[in-house]
Amino acid sequence: MKLAVISCIHGNYEALNAVLSDIDDHQADQIYCLGDLVGYGPHPNAVVEMIRSLDIPTCQGCWDEDIVEGLNACECSYPSQLAEQRGRQAHEWTNQVIHPEVRDYLATLPLTLRQDNLCFVHGSPNSQHEYLLQDMDGFVALERVLATEADVLFCGHTHIPYVRQLNHGKLSVSIQQPGQSAQSQQFEAPLKSIINAGSVGEPRHGRPNATYVIYDTETAATTLREVPYDYQKTCADIIEKGLPPVFAWRLAQGLEFAERAEDPEHVCQR
Amino acid sequence: MAHWAILSGIEGNLAAYEAVLADIKRLRQTVTELFILGDVIGLQGNNEGVVARLRSPQPGELIPQVCTGWWEEQALSLYGLRGLPDAPELRASQGQGAVKHLWDDLSRETVQWLNSLSFGFFELDCLLIHGSTVSYDDALTPETPVMVMCDRIMRANANNLFCGRSGQTFEYHLRSGSIPSTVTTLDQATDQEGQSLQPWQVVGVGCVGRPGQPPTYTLYNPGSNQVTFKTVTPAGVRGFGRSPAQPRR
Repeated sequence: MKLAVISCIHGNYEALNAVLSDIDDHQADQIYCLGDLVGYGPHPNAVVEMIRSLDIPTCQGCWDEDIVEGLNACECSYPSQLAEQRGRQAHEWTNQVIHPEVRDYLATLPLTLRQDNLCFVHGSPNSQHEYLLQDMDGFVALERVLATEADVLFCGHTHIPYVRQLNHGKLSVSIQQPGQSAQSQQFEAPLKSIINAGSVGEPRHGRPNATYVIYDTETAATTLREVPYDYQKTCADIIEKGLPPVFAWRLAQGLEFAERAEDPEHVCQR
Repeated sequence: MAHWAILSGIEGNLAAYEAVLADIKRLRQTVTELFILGDVIGLQGNNEGVVARLRSPQPGELIPQVCTGWWEEQALSLYGLRGLPDAPELRASQGQGAVKHLWDDLSRETVQWLNSLSFGFFELDCLLIHGSTVSYDDALTPETPVMVMCDRIMRANANNLFCGRSGQTFEYHLRSGSIPSTVTTLDQATDQEGQSLQPWQVVGVGCVGRPGQPPTYTLYNPGSNQVTFKTVTPAGVRGFGRSPAQPRR
């Protein structure tokens, strides 16, 4: 079975259309979406309506959550103060234009989806806000996959696609309690993978192209897809809608210098 | 070499705390720091007496460094100072009677003091905390899966994690660890990397005031990294030491 996994569309209808066409070309059997349908981009309602019309199983992203519940997270909603300033403007604009039925739909989205040995989340199994970066500590990454009881963990949120294979992590521990002899334990994890689907509508890998992944459940083969689209049209719409022009600039660059998390593993305690 | 005394879970048991202080005074080792990892208050004891004792050490005694525990968080929730209002966690686990008792038992001054406590302490390469960096309610035990334990200490970015939530005394040592991994990105075919872990330990520091068991606490030598568990069994530990007149709000 061939799966297409998309994430972080962020109201970019042009990019979503291009990715859906690419998925058609590759004859995927099933599409999963890892959330953040809205925010930053100029067409949040159209994006949600497209996802709903195609009946794509979708997790709730952090931006979707904020539109449902309001900006009530701690400072972890954004990875830096600069990102927070810009993000608040985008949130307020999106909050004003979103249709009531779209907000209701976003409220129904689950935090986690499962299919056999696969698990789908937005950020991490802990939180929609946690960043699973490609260079994060290997043992912490392994713990995140093990926590799902799956073999493959699909995530988004960082906007940079990658495949990380964790090959048989080994740990040796001893446990000592008063009055008892020390117990030694060996732990060896089977092969686990984290697959980050990148971002359809707000890529940050250094080019403006939309990104997503194709995964073959039979062979576990993973293809990172990069899809060109008319990003200039989205940029023009961002300006035309009155969103911060910097969103158009960074969309054209495929970069966001303000979005580098200082504490990527922070878990919101609100 | 100087030692740290680390304890948790007084739970309002003033007699047990006094017994631990007396035991520390009797030690041959020099104790230079006294850390109390939360749960100084509880449901059955003399909360105001314990807090007064903590805030006003006698001449020559160490000044305790106290962080919040589960019970303090419940009190702060009950008073609307932290987390969800009205202490739903306390109500769910201990019942409505416990909510009323805690509300009646703590003075406003004590609540304010509880609100001033730290979430934990980072000293040298040690994190001292009630639960873990994930939550004050995170009970680490000898049965905690190794990957969860690994996650907790790596979140803390420490080599030694001292915790008190479970009330148990234990040492959980990582002897070795390795994990090879590969990363594939759009621009990089496959990057192989290997990672190994430095030894670390998680220490359950015991519980001072829980009814029906003798007070336990931990001595730690930061110079040698040696942990020693202490059990105190004096005659006067059995009661809760509530004095007849208790301050009320």
